[in-house]
Amino acid sequence: MNKQILTVMFKEIKDNIRDKKTVMSSIFMGAIFGPVLLVVMMNAVSGMMKDKSEKQLELHVDGMNNAKSFITFVQSQGAKVVEFSGNAKKAILNKDKEAILVIPSDFPKKFESGLPAVIQLYYDATAKGATNITQERIKALIKGYSRTIGMTRLQLRGISPSLLQAVTIEDHDVSTAESKGAKALAFLPYFLIMGLFMGSMYLAIDTMAGEKERNSLESLLLNPIKRSHLLTGKLLATISFGIVTMFATLLTFKFALPFMPFESMGISFTFGVKNIVLFAILLAPLSIMAASLQTIIATFSKSFKEAQTYVSLLIFIPMIPSLILMMVPVKEKLWMMFVPILGQNLAINQILRGEPVSMVWFIAVAVGSLIVGVLLALLAIKLYNRESLLFSD
Amino acid sequence: MIEVKTVSKSFGDVKAVKEITFTAPDSQVTALLGANGAGKTTTLRMIYALITPQTGEILIDGINPKEEPEKARKLLGVLPDTRGLYKRLTARENIEYFGKLHGMNDADIRSRTDSLVEDLRMQEFIDRKTDGFSQGQRVKVAIARALVHDPQNIILDEPTNGLDVMSTRGVRRFLNKEKQRGKCILFSSHVMQEVAAVSDEILIVNDGTITAKGTQLELQQQTGKDNLEDAFVYIVTNGEGHE
Repeated sequence: MNKQILTVMFKEIKDNIRDKKTVMSSIFMGAIFGPVLLVVMMNAVSGMMKDKSEKQLELHVDGMNNAKSFITFVQSQGAKVVEFSGNAKKAILNKDKEAILVIPSDFPKKFESGLPAVIQLYYDATAKGATNITQERIKALIKGYSRTIGMTRLQLRGISPSLLQAVTIEDHDVSTAESKGAKALAFLPYFLIMGLFMGSMYLAIDTMAGEKERNSLESLLLNPIKRSHLLTGKLLATISFGIVTMFATLLTFKFALPFMPFESMGISFTFGVKNIVLFAILLAPLSIMAASLQTIIATFSKSFKEAQTYVSLLIFIPMIPSLILMMVPVKEKLWMMFVPILGQNLAINQILRGEPVSMVWFIAVAVGSLIVGVLLALLAIKLYNRESLLFSD
Repeated sequence: MIEVKTVSKSFGDVKAVKEITFTAPDSQVTALLGANGAGKTTTLRMIYALITPQTGEILIDGINPKEEPEKARKLLGVLPDTRGLYKRLTARENIEYFGKLHGMNDADIRSRTDSLVEDLRMQEFIDRKTDGFSQGQRVKVAIARALVHDPQNIILDEPTNGLDVMSTRGVRRFLNKEKQRGKCILFSSHVMQEVAAVSDEILIVNDGTITAKGTQLELQQQTGKDNLEDAFVYIVTNGEGHE
């Protein structure tokens, strides 16, 4: 490679490594942020789920005396019953209680005459947290009681209760421990890509807008070096920071794995050297795209601050495919693999699910991102060649 | 030697430089003297091929910077108007970077840097990071950086702008020494004493053209004034003499 390009690249790397703020905010933050957030998120979710489904169920009941046998049944199932009086709807809306049972006064009369007796269950289906777990546990209890009583009634009349079950369902969930893991880790590709964007962000700003702000650009351009070489050197330095951050993110993630509650979530997940290498090959071409996009934006910015504002916004781009894929299930097609970021998301998710990724798809992801990256890099060089580059202020 | 022949440049409707012609020979200090906005910086920027002239031709030791910008830049050492340094690098590293971009090897960079350090008296701060340097220290580093490849032609845009007396004298002494070595030195300034002190030939730039030229004495004789400032004012105001 051209010696001048290397000179520029090594100078930019040296210059920026000396800036502790850059190293901290790009490599360190980029690498740490995602994995740590994943650990915190997963532990919070699994802890909450465990809490709600294993903790003793507390039933708040208005009109306990109207259904004594029901209360006895519920208590025999291990639930704690608490008397409630007042306005059930208000208590739920005020978030005083998660769920309240109201047993109307006509319950005994209907119950004894064999008519469906009503128990009212108050809850807020849109409330945050695990209210739905509590609510489902209560419903299951009531259904259990109802079935027990119903079966007894049929038996008393000499009818087999199984007649009521015309059809039964046999569950065959083919999800594997790996695919459950992939679901829980659906945000991993985003964090990896975000790390990559964060890693190259500061270099793109410093090598472009920074050069303008500290008034060193004109002197630099006076050297006998082609602008395309100059920009290539700067881009390579920027890309290298992105790739280093990507590897750092992968390693941080590996070290964060033991802190993720996989066992209690029934998930199996391994992240060995092979996966790290596969992920790196998929993600590395994206760094060219990230660095070029950031550089292009920074070229147009008049100051460091302005560049920072716009370039930071870029970090939201990789979020779009991740979010869509989390909400809408997508059947992977070859063309999708060629789309940068989308391809990485799909391929990484496939690997996480333990599915084999075909070689063609794998190459499609890498090549697709590489082509887009190189085209953007060429655009960045073209923009850098403008005479007005120096006078945009 | 720098030759400028009927060179013009407009930015939109504004004609910054109008058919300027002059020659800056070797072993001589040539000054472009003019008020702010007279077209000095634009003229210099066209010489070092940062801006392309719309008419005319420029030759640096026979090389046209419009056609061979890299080759022309090798023959030029330029201290531009904006002269920011990389503040996380030491003064020496700043100079080295430009030396490498000029394709010099490490040994040449080292010996040339050493002699520049001596000439510009930079011993005290050469290995310090340039963050927090005084204006004078910064200009010295910027000059050393621009001249690391020991070019035949030296261009300086307002070289002593914002410098104190001692630094100004240091720069002047250095330019004189380079002149003795046979270099072609072209600089721009709006400071009369400065131009009077170092230049062999003065080109007065006004409104994008050269309105008068000669030595200080010649200019004073042409206008019948006894100092350069009065002569300058006389020339740029067409003899009316009002400020």
